[in-house]
Amino acid sequence: MLSKKEAYSIIDKTLEHCNYYTMISIDSEEEGLTRFANSEIHQNVFNYNTTVSIKILENKKESKVTTNLLDEKSLEQAVKEAEENLAFLPEGKVKMPHLCEPKEIVSEAYDKEVGIKFDITNRSELLKQGIEQLDDTFIAAGSLSLKKSVLAMGNTKGIRRYARIDSVDFNAVVIHEGGFSGYVEMNTNKADELDVVKEFKVAYDKARLGIDPVSVKPGEYTVILEPLAVGDLLAFMSYIGFAARGVQTGMSFLTGKLGEKVFGENITITDDVSNMNTIPLTFDFEGYEKKKLSIIEKGIAKELAYDVTSAIKDGVETTGHSVGNTSMGGFAFNLVMENGKDNMTDLIKSTKRGLLVTRFHYMNAVDPTKAQLTALTRDGLYLIEDGEIKSGVKNLRFTETMSKAFSNVVGITKERKKVPGFFATNYVPALKIENFHFTGNAE
Amino acid sequence: MKAEIKKILCLLEEKGVDYADVRIVDTVKERITTENLQVQSIVNSRSKGAGIRVIHDGSLGFASTQNLEKLEETAMKALEIAKASRILQKEKIILAKKEVTVDHYETDIEIDPFEISKSDKIELLFSAEKEMRKSAELSQTKATMDFQKQEKIYADTEGSYITQLLYESGGGIVATARNNNLTEIRSYPNSFRGNHATAGYEYILKLDLIGHGEKTGKEAVMLTNAEECPSGVYDIIIGGGQLGLQIHESIGHPVELDRVFGSEAAYAGMSFLGVEKRNENFKYGSEHVTVVMDATIPTALGTYGYDDDGVKATKKTIIDKGIFKNFISSRDTAVKIGQPSDGNNRADEWANIPIVRMSNINLMPGNFEFEELVEGIEDGLHLVTNKSWSIDDKRLNFQFACEIAYEIKDGQFTGKIYRNPIYTGITPQFWGSCDAICNDKYWEVYGTPNCGKGQPGQVAHVAHGSSPARFRKVKVGVEDVK
Repeated sequence: MLSKKEAYSIIDKTLEHCNYYTMISIDSEEEGLTRFANSEIHQNVFNYNTTVSIKILENKKESKVTTNLLDEKSLEQAVKEAEENLAFLPEGKVKMPHLCEPKEIVSEAYDKEVGIKFDITNRSELLKQGIEQLDDTFIAAGSLSLKKSVLAMGNTKGIRRYARIDSVDFNAVVIHEGGFSGYVEMNTNKADELDVVKEFKVAYDKARLGIDPVSVKPGEYTVILEPLAVGDLLAFMSYIGFAARGVQTGMSFLTGKLGEKVFGENITITDDVSNMNTIPLTFDFEGYEKKKLSIIEKGIAKELAYDVTSAIKDGVETTGHSVGNTSMGGFAFNLVMENGKDNMTDLIKSTKRGLLVTRFHYMNAVDPTKAQLTALTRDGLYLIEDGEIKSGVKNLRFTETMSKAFSNVVGITKERKKVPGFFATNYVPALKIENFHFTGNAE
Repeated sequence: MKAEIKKILCLLEEKGVDYADVRIVDTVKERITTENLQVQSIVNSRSKGAGIRVIHDGSLGFASTQNLEKLEETAMKALEIAKASRILQKEKIILAKKEVTVDHYETDIEIDPFEISKSDKIELLFSAEKEMRKSAELSQTKATMDFQKQEKIYADTEGSYITQLLYESGGGIVATARNNNLTEIRSYPNSFRGNHATAGYEYILKLDLIGHGEKTGKEAVMLTNAEECPSGVYDIIIGGGQLGLQIHESIGHPVELDRVFGSEAAYAGMSFLGVEKRNENFKYGSEHVTVVMDATIPTALGTYGYDDDGVKATKKTIIDKGIFKNFISSRDTAVKIGQPSDGNNRADEWANIPIVRMSNINLMPGNFEFEELVEGIEDGLHLVTNKSWSIDDKRLNFQFACEIAYEIKDGQFTGKIYRNPIYTGITPQFWGSCDAICNDKYWEVYGTPNCGKGQPGQVAHVAHGSSPARFRKVKVGVEDVK
């Protein structure tokens, strides 16, 4: 992987050819991913790619060129192309600011054990040990991947940024020959947090718990959403609603609702890069320091994620949430949901009749302006009756507005888990929600 | 480059591999977005690299590099990975036989999109935005163009050496209107950055974004004054663009043979179809439903010369008059059902392994005029342009939202429109309810440039030919589900 010195060297060499204010961004990623299905490895891949983006701001014009050809001649050519584009680009409405401080933000600390524990051979061995626990009536599928990422930036004002993050992603579904399945998924930047063999056991136990699933009718149910399912909802709400740009265009469900109660008082959601259970990328894709956001505080919509463009429009400062895509505006991906006092056992015990949901599949926004989402349950839906898990349940589709769902939360666990989000990791508890609207059977 | 590639393949053969291939892919893209008569972004990008796939002792390894001077190192890495795969493998990978091919294929284009100046492109997009704003108070207008030029080299240890030069062009417009806390959108010619084709700039000109601007803008405003679509069971006509996505999700994905064999079990999901369905005269739809995979249709987005197994693009019937006939496959999946590959194994650029992907999966035209479809509906809706989509992991339960629904009563459009129409169903029942498809006069190909699958995630560019079709007794809306 690119060291800080190597990354800065590419930035320096590229900037030598620049005649305007220019920001260079380097996105470098190495990934080794071992994929398995039918309890054997069927795909096993390695990829390493470094791209350099050259963004020029001149008066009210902006020009951007990206390349993965890293020899000096190609980088010079890319700069030339970006500068030539200025000649015919129309001017924008505003002059974009030049980033001048802080001079340097560096995060070089990463867990070196991640790369050792999950190297090519060890990944195969760990998966083998995990799968060997299953009896012949079950099969497993999933992936285990080691990812090493570097984001580096530098501009003509002397600004430098560097962050390296090594992480591991694991997901596994264990499927009974009768069709019922259990699932686990985790990503972390700390090697000792992932015990692959133990995680397999969790998925295996979940699959065994639901053999011979029953069908239930669509309708409103009390649900207990495990952290993966909560994470799915939260990540999607962030995508469609937590960005200032969404409010500016009217597509966010928080349009006109800032300062108003949108969820129950027991719901508090922050975006907090300082929380060690999320991925520690402390600057955004425009080079700005990422600020902590209080998105929902005791049910009240408070703050939104901004990039520079959306911040200028609202006459405020960026919150450092750019993901390098103006059409998305800011994006909150270090989401942390405040925990409660309950534990999972109590949530189940206190449920007369309800459904326990492991995760959702193929979520989408039916109507983003109402945060009306739809998805199906997958890999572990269970019927709870009289405070006990009675059986597995065949999958259902829900269609529900999030303002209703998050106003009906009657239980929140103390324990929280890291769950995968769109770009990184979120940290959430399990939730018990009343009157959650299931609108169809999966088959 | 040819000599260097052959050297690598020879080296791998000396190391005892069963099979190896090298793909070198060089992709140039241009993506222009204008919004509210300003350029929101212009992104020019280039990505070049090599992917090397190795089968050693029946186990697979793949490694890729952007540094073409490190092909040997990358080949050894792929070999190392293949050996690690052996640790957890029951069945050895075998490839279906294919013809050894030395050939070149190029997209037939009239105007190279990269020869058109950016200022001309921006001017066209601005003009389309102005048309949308002409007679409507819009809160936002947006216009987009996307272009891609891809040069590919494929070579394998069996002796094939294939070069391809593929072009893509696409464009679209979106109008957004706000009124009394309602925000509604209308898109042309399709949602999510318009329509796309393997073609040159002539395709953009044919889309006539400017000519469709005014109607698009007007309908967005009308939607903000429209009622929410009612829930119930209706006869519906689905417009070609939406039907394209319906085909994609509920026919294209379930017939991917790697899904049937469980390759995507933990991620994209599997299929309600088992291999046995091919021989059971399984009723996938009504007698009106004939679906053909055809990777050779001129200008369709999923058209190419050869797939990334080096298998020639071909045409095959998937569903014949409602009866399921064939899956789409790769060499390693086709061999398991005793068939040759039909050339649908494709990788996202150079850094990914090829997996089974749709090319062009098309619902063949029927014999009906559009007016006949409408005349046959007593109380129904015409649903147009996708807004959102979702389908379960076996590809049975789907739910789509569209941008607009036009009301039909007693065989005629009433002039009333509804916002936020949703329809839902179960795949075979839904296709079984199709009782009329418009004729070839209405048949168009809709490009889908954002088909996601695989781990690491890959994006494929595919397409679906369709014409408007009628479906009986379809569940619309969800509010009445208690």
